[in-house]
Amino acid sequence: MRRFYRLLSALGTVRAQRILGWATWLGLLVTAVVALAVVPADADQGDVQRLMYVHVPAAWVAFLSFGVVFLASVGYLKTGRIHWDRIAVSSAEIGVVFCALTIVLGSLWGRPVWGTWWTWDPRLTTTALLLLIYAGYLSLRKVADSPARRARWSAVIGVVGFIDVPIVHMSVVWWRSLHQQATVVRPGAPTIAGSMLATLLLAFVAFSLAYGYLMAVRMRVGRLEDRSALPVSELSTPRARRPRPVQATAVNGSPHHA
Amino acid sequence: MHDLGYVVAGYAVTLVTLAGYRWRLALRTRRARRYLSTATGRTTAGRH
Repeated sequence: MRRFYRLLSALGTVRAQRILGWATWLGLLVTAVVALAVVPADADQGDVQRLMYVHVPAAWVAFLSFGVVFLASVGYLKTGRIHWDRIAVSSAEIGVVFCALTIVLGSLWGRPVWGTWWTWDPRLTTTALLLLIYAGYLSLRKVADSPARRARWSAVIGVVGFIDVPIVHMSVVWWRSLHQQATVVRPGAPTIAGSMLATLLLAFVAFSLAYGYLMAVRMRVGRLEDRSALPVSELSTPRARRPRPVQATAVNGSPHHA
Repeated sequence: MHDLGYVVAGYAVTLVTLAGYRWRLALRTRRARRYLSTATGRTTAGRH
């Protein structure tokens, strides 16, 4: 857990942000070129299958984001440290962006292949529910009256809400679904052609870099906004002499400082 | 050819979403920095 926290903290440096920023845009550009111009079109679906190289990685980043929310929420409930809450909310916000993107891209893919923009299929319904859970998570934070209560409520939703992630993944196995079965993360070997799998893995790397980059920037914004929320008297006091505010209280009652 | 429209739309939506979110984060950074500069009377460039 401590190693996970150290890794996320390292993303907050200006240097890490710059490196990640360049790597992300370069990775996305290379992915787009390979996916649109290099890899062959699918024999059955034709060119529209090229949407897989953005739809599936977007879903992966949404799952990754909500996984980080889960871990950070457990970290907060265990320690009461506000840093964990900041990591959780940053990741939840990015997860909501990618989850919404997944649904829109799936809809664009579904229209020519299934003949409809939307259907109440188990995979689509559980994904929409996932988006609602984390959009609710972000909304709830706006109504909580104290930072400690806000962080505690959010952490509970961050832990409970994660239950939907494995349900989304297994929905195509558990229920009859219009959505295709898993082709990469499944028992046995992947069922797609080598060149398509390589392009998909490249897209996974590029989207994971995008997640790291957006997390780095979002956490920086979080630190600035948390400082902005302090009373002006505390802002003008030099950092070394400033009394450390109690921003959160652990679930077991022991206070921790931000 | 008709299907290509969906592909182009998909990639465009992805780019606009990512760039739009990054732009929104930049706006929030600028707003928070401006507030902190006004409140403290100091410039807030660099890491916080």
